Amino acid sequence: MREKPRLALVVAAALLMLAACATATPGGGAAELTVWIMGDSSARFERLVEPFTDRTGIAVDAVAIPWDTVDQKFTTAVASGQGPDLLQIGLSKLPAFAASGALLTLDERTLKSHPGLAAANFLDGIATSATGGARVSVPWVSDTRVLFYRSDLLAAAGLTRPPATWDELRTHARTLAGQGGGRYGFHVPQWDNTLPVIMTWAQGGTIVGADGTIDFDTPAFQRAVDLYTGLYADRSVPPDADFDQVQGFVSGTSPMLVSGPYLAGAISEAAPQLAGKWSVAPIPGGAARTSLLAGSNLGIWGTTDNRDGALQLLAYLAQPRTQLTWYELDAQLPVSRAALADPELTSEPLVSVYAEQLRDAEPLPPVPNWDGETGKALLDALNSIVLTAANRDTALRGLYAATTGTPAT
Amino acid sequence: MKPSLAPYAFVAPALLLLLTFGVLPILVAVPVSLTDLNLAGLADWSRIGFVGLDNYRRLFADPGFWQALANTGIFALLGVPAVIVVSFVAALLLHRSENRFFRALRAFYFVPAVTAIVAVSLVWGYLYNTQFGLLNHLLSVAGLPPARWLGDPVLVKLSVVFVAVWRGTGLNIIIFLAALKAIPQEYLEAAELDGASGTRKIFSIVIPLLRFAFLFVAVTTVIGWLQFFDEPFVLTKGGPLGESTSMSLFLYQEGFSAGEFGYAGAGTLVLFLIIAGVTLPQVRARRTDADR
Repeated sequence: MREKPRLALVVAAALLMLAACATATPGGGAAELTVWIMGDSSARFERLVEPFTDRTGIAVDAVAIPWDTVDQKFTTAVASGQGPDLLQIGLSKLPAFAASGALLTLDERTLKSHPGLAAANFLDGIATSATGGARVSVPWVSDTRVLFYRSDLLAAAGLTRPPATWDELRTHARTLAGQGGGRYGFHVPQWDNTLPVIMTWAQGGTIVGADGTIDFDTPAFQRAVDLYTGLYADRSVPPDADFDQVQGFVSGTSPMLVSGPYLAGAISEAAPQLAGKWSVAPIPGGAARTSLLAGSNLGIWGTTDNRDGALQLLAYLAQPRTQLTWYELDAQLPVSRAALADPELTSEPLVSVYAEQLRDAEPLPPVPNWDGETGKALLDALNSIVLTAANRDTALRGLYAATTGTPAT
Repeated sequence: MKPSLAPYAFVAPALLLLLTFGVLPILVAVPVSLTDLNLAGLADWSRIGFVGLDNYRRLFADPGFWQALANTGIFALLGVPAVIVVSFVAALLLHRSENRFFRALRAFYFVPAVTAIVAVSLVWGYLYNTQFGLLNHLLSVAGLPPARWLGDPVLVKLSVVFVAVWRGTGLNIIIFLAALKAIPQEYLEAAELDGASGTRKIFSIVIPLLRFAFLFVAVTTVIGWLQFFDEPFVLTKGGPLGESTSMSLFLYQEGFSAGEFGYAGAGTLVLFLIIAGVTLPQVRARRTDADR
């Protein structure tokens, strides 16, 4: 009978391991706040909140969540009930996240002791849009799209100034790509579901009909499709999904592209030697020169055990001073009105372009699920035309069928 | 505890894991597939509604589902024979000698099977990259135009299958090698005395005696390819335009990216039935084979 204790031991060990798996939870008592920061900014975020920790004694643990796993992470957290204390939410995801009911409602009473979080302190559009009912988040960073261009390469091709209209951009891109050597003129990221919307705005149209639902079946959108597919037909843009936009810009393969302020940081970091050889300009226009107003908000997890600490951190992050420091650290634009008007920021040459563009920028229509449904249908239709030579009318009819009637208010 | 209980105690942990992570989820998927469970329903169960067979109707009307199903079929048709043939041939060659070089080779062939998929995706992503990938660099050295390894609708299927075959052979080589070692030397010697050629020995002695190993490899490989997920997930995310989306990846996207759990649950059950339908005849064939 000597096996008996040994056997029991094995079984006990196995059960213990199972139990350990089952109870593994993110640690952190009431004194620590876990914050989900999207992208690769978490280390810089921890530096940003050091003064907050010094003052309040609340430690902040920033967890980096890659942009392309945000949905899965959030879903898992909702399903398990194990979320962070605070999390960053991209504006395009806000309606879906808000509808999940997992976030704390930030009503008047909750925000009473934090006047800094009042909507009036923030840029219009971000604070009011896309919340769909109860307010569950406060603005954190703003973002808009501008034209990045390699001034040296444009000059070498005899182009003295960046394109002011999309027609001009198409001509410029043709000239640049025509130099040969595997070069392109512009870059259209295949995952960018906002560029076709910006192009529609430039044609003087919108993708929301008079009845407040999505409507792509308009002459302006048709002209935007002409532009989008025309860039591919001209062979001015790379047709590959794995084309790296920073690499392409730095190497000069794609000397123009449309992106947000964070790209300026990425370019400076990847190629400091390029300083002075590139610049930014307002988004190309047409009938209008409206760009995208995007950004991220911060929300508090509904079941957090440190609600007061989380609110204190939100208030700290909304302070103009913190927002300015964040631009210095991470090149992300403030959303606080006071910070955006601060001379420290406006004196920077790139920022003057961003600030000018922010004055003419609109958010995406607040559909229930932009990235997963409306935006995906839009991209699938356009990319099937340019990448797999699908019939244009069939593809667009498919898009209309998939999106018409989607509420956008 | 009676000694006869010991075997059960030993299989209990494995069985427990199988029940928890294999059988239970499938059982849960049945009721879930009849509801409209989504992100909101997950947070608050009172917001879940019963929708009957709606999810199945939607699924069969969804071109994305049929595309994923067709892709999975193509992947399995390409991948399963490739994995079986490549691992068997590699095992035969590795079996020829026991010296240090061959032992090192054996480890070499096994490395892809134990390398983390993230590292694999990084390396292959760079090899395949259109802009600065090694493969296109080699093509340009040979004076050929660049290929769009992960961008072309047809080529992308071959590219992901190639990586999966490369990853999938290692384990099967080991299984074949072990089976090869179990073949009694006398059979081969007798055949040799009768004047059988090398090929003849392989086809008349080795392959028939490896029947069980072949069956095992075939069944596990078929199941693995019907659940094909890792390679397209890390290399292409199913793109371009769903051309490399497998069934599992489609279900993952519907469930975890779009938050449509009821819909994904319906798809899961369909995939489960397909796998059961393909695998059961194989196992059944073995049973009659053993009875004979």
